[in-house]
Amino acid sequence: MGKIRDWFSYLSHFVYAEKLESMDQILQQIPQQLINGVTVGGVYALIAIGYTMVYGILFMLNFAHGEVYMIGGFTGWWVLHLLTNSSGGLLLNGFIVIILMILFAMALTGALGMGIERFAYRPLRNAPRMNLLLSALGVTIVLRNLVLNLQGAKIRFFHTSALIPKSIQVFHIGGTVISFMRLLVIGVSIGLMAILTWFVKETKMGKAMRATAQDTEAATFMGIDVNRIILLTFLIGSALGGAAGALVGLLFTQVDYYVGYVAGLKGFTAAVLGGIGSIPGAMVGGFILGIVESLATTLISSTYKDVVSFIILILVLLIRPWGILGEKAPEKV
Amino acid sequence: MKKVLLLGLSVCLIIAFSTINGYAADVSKGLSIGAAGPFTGPAAAPGMEIFNSIKIAVDEKNAAGGIKGVKVKLVMGDDAGDAAQGVNVAEKFCADKTMYGVIGPPMSNVAEATLRMYAQCNLTCITTAASRPDLTEKGYHHFFRVNARDDAHGPAVGHFIAEDLKAKSVYVLNTKDTYSQGYADQVVATLKKLGVKKIWRDTIVASAKDYSSVLTRVKAKNPDVLVVGAKTAPDHAVMVRQMRELGIKAIYFGSEGAKDKKDFIQASEGAAEGAYLNHFAPDIYKIPEAAHYVKVYESKYGSLSGFGPPAYDATNILLNAMEKAAADGDITRKEVMKYMAQTKNYRGILGFPITFDKKGDLLGGATYIFKVVGGDFKLVKVAKGM
Repeated sequence: MGKIRDWFSYLSHFVYAEKLESMDQILQQIPQQLINGVTVGGVYALIAIGYTMVYGILFMLNFAHGEVYMIGGFTGWWVLHLLTNSSGGLLLNGFIVIILMILFAMALTGALGMGIERFAYRPLRNAPRMNLLLSALGVTIVLRNLVLNLQGAKIRFFHTSALIPKSIQVFHIGGTVISFMRLLVIGVSIGLMAILTWFVKETKMGKAMRATAQDTEAATFMGIDVNRIILLTFLIGSALGGAAGALVGLLFTQVDYYVGYVAGLKGFTAAVLGGIGSIPGAMVGGFILGIVESLATTLISSTYKDVVSFIILILVLLIRPWGILGEKAPEKV
Repeated sequence: MKKVLLLGLSVCLIIAFSTINGYAADVSKGLSIGAAGPFTGPAAAPGMEIFNSIKIAVDEKNAAGGIKGVKVKLVMGDDAGDAAQGVNVAEKFCADKTMYGVIGPPMSNVAEATLRMYAQCNLTCITTAASRPDLTEKGYHHFFRVNARDDAHGPAVGHFIAEDLKAKSVYVLNTKDTYSQGYADQVVATLKKLGVKKIWRDTIVASAKDYSSVLTRVKAKNPDVLVVGAKTAPDHAVMVRQMRELGIKAIYFGSEGAKDKKDFIQASEGAAEGAYLNHFAPDIYKIPEAAHYVKVYESKYGSLSGFGPPAYDATNILLNAMEKAAADGDITRKEVMKYMAQTKNYRGILGFPITFDKKGDLLGGATYIFKVVGGDFKLVKVAKGM
């Protein structure tokens, strides 16, 4: 213990000039930081799944995924806005509103994901990978500017205080605070991941998906409609990204046209960290990234929060280039 | 041969310089002023308030016959708060031969990046919000401001926190931009000078939407006051909201970007109640001279947050200088600059007379401190001459 303490104080000396924190103060923050980390980690994981599923089948990085997340956020805001009357009251029960927000965000972004695949990627499927990548960047620019043109650069606010009764908005456990929205985000993200895991493992469609990821040509010979499977992959991945957008809106109460950039970057990092192409890897990567970021704020400094997560990424890439749970697959010939 | 070459070169140079600096033109060829600022992006709300206020002043001037019978044209130059885009705007404005002055840029980072460009083309700039001190310390003569500098705001805020709020421990957070960094530096320096022992600092990322991990750290320190230097109201809204959610009892003190009723008070859904903030302009609703402007603005564009009134005054000051420069039917950018510097005791709608010192700074600028009470801003202190 003493050694760790020395190490901490050395680190703190290194990073900030103000008085250093005592061990007690650090320990006191850890449960709270874990809650903060798990919440954003769940969101990162949902976004990472979209990257990893598409990569697993098409071997391409769908950079438009961050914008899909952003549109999920706006859809959630729009549903909430439509169901709120002019004096701030809700037209439906708050819990139903939350469910509708998430479902609509998933439906719209799922459809959007399939549209992107059909019109931006499928025509280029046999072209060099670089063309697909450029097409993805093009979709990113189109989506971002579409939102910018439709609603301007205004930040939209989620007026969430009416959604849930005051008595269950915040829970105190000792000195640690956990809000209802955080529980919701953690619960929904883990729930969605569990359903996805079951779907991929147990259902026929899931089996077909895995087969396509393993060997697209062989899957075609076995009678699998590969086009349909790829569409399904985009549907699921994008819907999860959209759900993440709506959840973040509920949690952090703001969305603007630019949120997709950072979210996409974080989701991508989580996917690579966990091992790109692996769904459990994306989940693990998301949570690790979220927790590391939060703990880095307490242990080092909020200034270096993002630096720390990218240093971890670089370390993983140096030591295990295939990621935490990824497979060291031989190059396909 | 050499002499001929030299002669030719100097003739070329003279021509080049006279075209850059001269622009001595008949007034009837057209008069325009530029509005440089963030009219899209996260700071679009205050940006548009500035633009609309400039427009009101220009429209009023044109309705009264313009300058020597020429209607003044207003040109929008959107920089989205980004220095690189600000440079493009400056290039465009400098190249516009009918342009004789610019209102803005209101953001310190953009003002800093474009300072030399505007100086080189002798284009008068009058900012209404850029408060970074060294903007007027670089020896340029084209840059004026109607707002007080950070080194006026920062110390005023420090004094208020130490003396009026009687804080013993203060946590200071700021985003990593020119304005917020300078603001936080000044507040911390003043607090130290006034003997506040416990001061902690951290930086945050602008528009991150999630500050809960840094706030967890703030909570462990349990400070009396949390000072946040951030440029945009939505960032302040997230911060104050998550701070209350985490159960931090500290008094919230925000920098002037927080003065936005919709994006700060309403967006935080009650969490902003009791928060303090500083601003460079007084409560416009309490100034009799401003009543007409307020009425015109609100009937056209909705409620005011405080960034508009200085822009309205700045525009009128610029138009006055242009009018003087154009009195002989001929106008140059240098003339406008000269008459601008001579502005003395201009009484507009801000409630205090405007005079520029040698550097282009406002003489005797004040800091206005507001508190959020009952979902609105209430003026609690006017700090002068720090």
